Amino acid sequence: MTADIHTLTGAYAVDALDDEERRFFEQHLEACEPCAQEVAELLATAARLGAAAAEPPPAGMKAKVLAEVDRTRQEAPRPRVGGSDRAGRADVAGGPTGRPWWGGLMLPAAAVLIVLGIGVGVLVNDLYGRLGSLEQEQVRYTEIMAAPDARWVEADGPDGSLGRVVLSASRGEAMMLVDGMDRAPEDHIYELWVIDEGGATPAGLFDVDDRGRMSRVVTGDFADAAAIGVTVEPAGGSPQPTTDPVMVLELGT
Amino acid sequence: MPGLRRLRSVAPAASPPTDEDLLLEVARGDQPAYAELYDRVGGLVYGVVRRVVRDPAQSEEVAQEVLVEVWRTAARFDPDKGSASTWILTMAHRRAIDRVRSEQASRDRTQRVGQREHQREYDAVAEEVEVAFEHEQVRTALAALTDLQREAVELAYYKGYTYREVAELLDTPLGTIKTRMRDGLIRLRDAMGVAS
Repeated sequence: MTADIHTLTGAYAVDALDDEERRFFEQHLEACEPCAQEVAELLATAARLGAAAAEPPPAGMKAKVLAEVDRTRQEAPRPRVGGSDRAGRADVAGGPTGRPWWGGLMLPAAAVLIVLGIGVGVLVNDLYGRLGSLEQEQVRYTEIMAAPDARWVEADGPDGSLGRVVLSASRGEAMMLVDGMDRAPEDHIYELWVIDEGGATPAGLFDVDDRGRMSRVVTGDFADAAAIGVTVEPAGGSPQPTTDPVMVLELGT
Repeated sequence: MPGLRRLRSVAPAASPPTDEDLLLEVARGDQPAYAELYDRVGGLVYGVVRRVVRDPAQSEEVAQEVLVEVWRTAARFDPDKGSASTWILTMAHRRAIDRVRSEQASRDRTQRVGQREHQREYDAVAEEVEVAFEHEQVRTALAALTDLQREAVELAYYKGYTYREVAELLDTPLGTIKTRMRDGLIRLRDAMGVAS
């Protein structure tokens, strides 16, 4: 990735980014209004290229689609929160149109991803500036990120989902992000574990939002921890894992 | 005259609903509205998917998935963010690209790009035939781009190459390809008078 992430608007609009870059760029879009606006326009332009390729669908397709529609349950409408400030988000792969409750938290999350994932001086200054103006929980993110021993770990999860953690052993804190994960099955929840030689210590419960995302601070003794794991547990959580992990972030200690 | 009264009662609704009106109705579970929306966008969805995926049977499968997805997730559509056709076509293109890439994921990328390069001549001919489908305005706007802008945009949008692959195919630096995709699209946007 080169320095100027803003020029990726075109490649994004024609789906020419690979999955990982697409995710990074979508997180950038959360924080960059000019890019979001440009992307909205370029997606509309790309759609014109698509419309120019229109051709009559196969004859039997309508009946098949209508039959499938008849037995397909729709997603419930969601309350719209905070207006349409995300003018340019390509809300196609999933996700409600309103800003989720953790929307405010995702700003530092996006900042971390861009700073650590891309490492661009200009953006760092810009985003640190934004981070400085955020408060409370967000300050914790900043502090974890700024800790001298902060480390960055990623791992793949099921169905193309991704877990990322920024961890500071000296602070005993980690900032955990999950993206693209299915919601926990009914009557179940995801449970986080800090895993060391002594076994697995519960580190909190979570489920993802409708966009398959989650972000939170995980506290624990990471000094000798080998990994952070995620398992599916019955609602309410378990004192010890009862299933194989769906995601393991190896801390490499 | 009962007939006239009936005519009067439908008169105010005479202007046809926009795609956006229909999609908002669909979001409320209106199946007749969905059927009408299908008639308007079914060919758009199938066309863009077919262009990218090529194989007719697979294209139909992907187009069907997309169209059912439109029904399932209609509540996510926000008319403030863009038109119904953009929302639907963006989804269709993304799904088509995902299909093409997942099919090819197990193959060696470099080898694949090499193979594709040999197919380009054939594709270029097929392309000329398909150009007949293109809307005049789009064709004119594409023709006004520089060769590199047009190739970068077309290889990505219609063929599903990543910009890295496009850079390799056109033997051009990555940064240049990214920039050409962006300024090419911006030129198309301006030429076609597209607003978000």
